[in-house]
Amino acid sequence: MSKEEQVIQQIVAKFPFLEGKLTNPYDRRIHAEPLYKEDFEKVLDWLATEGGFDTFHLVIGFDSGENLEFVYVLSNADKIILNVKQYAPKSNPVINSVVKYYKNCIWHERELIDLFGATVEGLPEGPHYPLPDGWPEGQYPMRKDWKVEYFDKNTMTYNPPAPEAKEETPEAPAEN
Amino acid sequence: MTNKKVVIPIGPQHPALKEPGCFTLTLEGEKVTNAVVGVGYNHRGLEKSCESRSYIQCLYIIERVCGICSHSHSTNFLRAVEQIAGVEISRRANYIRVLMAELERLHSHLLWLGVAGHIIGFDTLLMYSWRDRELVLDQLATIGGNRVNYGINTIGGVRRDIDAQNIEDLKKMCTIVEEQAKYYAQIALTETTLAARLGGVGKLSHDDCIKYGAVGPTSRAAGVADDIRKTDPYCLYEEMPFDVITTEYADVFGRTVVRVLEIFESVKIIRYVLDNLPDGELVVKVPRKIPAGESVTRYEAPRGEDVHMVRANGTEYPERVRVRAPSEANWHGMAHMIEGDYLADAPLIIAAIDPCYSCTDRKIIVDNKDTETQSVLDWNQLRQYSIDWYKNRGIDTTKIQIPEKKLYF
Repeated sequence: MSKEEQVIQQIVAKFPFLEGKLTNPYDRRIHAEPLYKEDFEKVLDWLATEGGFDTFHLVIGFDSGENLEFVYVLSNADKIILNVKQYAPKSNPVINSVVKYYKNCIWHERELIDLFGATVEGLPEGPHYPLPDGWPEGQYPMRKDWKVEYFDKNTMTYNPPAPEAKEETPEAPAEN
Repeated sequence: MTNKKVVIPIGPQHPALKEPGCFTLTLEGEKVTNAVVGVGYNHRGLEKSCESRSYIQCLYIIERVCGICSHSHSTNFLRAVEQIAGVEISRRANYIRVLMAELERLHSHLLWLGVAGHIIGFDTLLMYSWRDRELVLDQLATIGGNRVNYGINTIGGVRRDIDAQNIEDLKKMCTIVEEQAKYYAQIALTETTLAARLGGVGKLSHDDCIKYGAVGPTSRAAGVADDIRKTDPYCLYEEMPFDVITTEYADVFGRTVVRVLEIFESVKIIRYVLDNLPDGELVVKVPRKIPAGESVTRYEAPRGEDVHMVRANGTEYPERVRVRAPSEANWHGMAHMIEGDYLADAPLIIAAIDPCYSCTDRKIIVDNKDTETQSVLDWNQLRQYSIDWYKNRGIDTTKIQIPEKKLYF
């Protein structure tokens, strides 16, 4: 049995709801299907404290339609990379910071705030990153519906075209 | 004056490197008691622009994430794309990618050595190491056509081959650079002024390196034997003979020693590649539409671990591209490195991770909409502009005789 398979078995034994949700597509890589906040936090807590995944590489944000998806890239002593994923509803994307496990997550999580509009609770105070000062509130450029062509960098405003008004079909003139 | 704290902002222009970053340092006397790192001035929206471009267009954007590590980023991006597409590139293409990667490491380490020398007032080291770096850049330009952004990579392999003349020139270059590196190693390991200036400065212990996720020479200088070429090999690095260089100094001195000694390892790899270059196609065909999937790839860039993630959606355009450059990883421990040291050491400590702000922040957009204050010049216009610029100052560059190029030794 490969080391990757051993890790998958170990995780599934601890969290049976992950049965069939972990894959090993390439050497030294394990991908997990996205989980919602409660399950994700249970799994991450175990991975970081008992599961041996003590190295955090980065967290990547995705706009997956109704949800924002956050992929945490972790590795263990065997240099196996594990992608664990968290879903947060786009309407209220609140997640908890993983800073209590990984000190090097801070810049990456700040990026999720600026670029995706996530609310990351428990993140220490500090400068925002990476968007410039004066960036308009509520504009999250890595969301799929945000288009660069509507952003005016001189005035720092986002000006999407107004939704097209429905053209009223003129009534046919009454025949005399 | 005791207990008086002074807050000094350094930046956004870095005092040693020509890139923007702001470091807010709180001082007690001359000692830094608190440091706040501010980066983000170079955020250019690279990842967003990749989402609306084809994979081959993305390649050219990704190559421009960083000037120094251009090959690192493009190779890592392509490995992710090729992995998702299920494409195995030829052994020859892999060997050529390794060759370019190690040439890049050579020129990056020599560049850093010169910058470090300049910061500590040892400008002779700057002149020597940058002189030697030119030899490496000449070889990169001969093979790839450019000093940086060599454009050697393409999806499915490499765009240019290595011929017998290249091999001969590269071997000659290796001999010279290796000889010079022996001299630098001797200076680094025995020169007392250098050890006194760099020793104990910018400490980041083994445990702190792991805690803050430091990568590359920064962590190897603290004894963390983590080199992606060994721990997660790619491009056939498992076949290459080299050692992972570590020290126990955990300071700027250790980072210098690691970089100097890594020059020998890179030369070893280059020689192995040249002596064992396999036959094979340069490029294998890859469909324009990449099947749905995702991949996280790692790469040992000169500054440390470079991570790329690509998610494909079955079309010609990637769903998402994420670049985590080595500098982005090394910023986390920066405040810890500066705190407790003298203000005068701050520029050196910052430079010692060999930071690349562009890598951290990613991407640039050039538009030509504002024609009153901006203009985009093509090559000939730029050349003419520079000739006129000098002419206006009494220098006619067209009359300068360029002597025949000679090696320095």
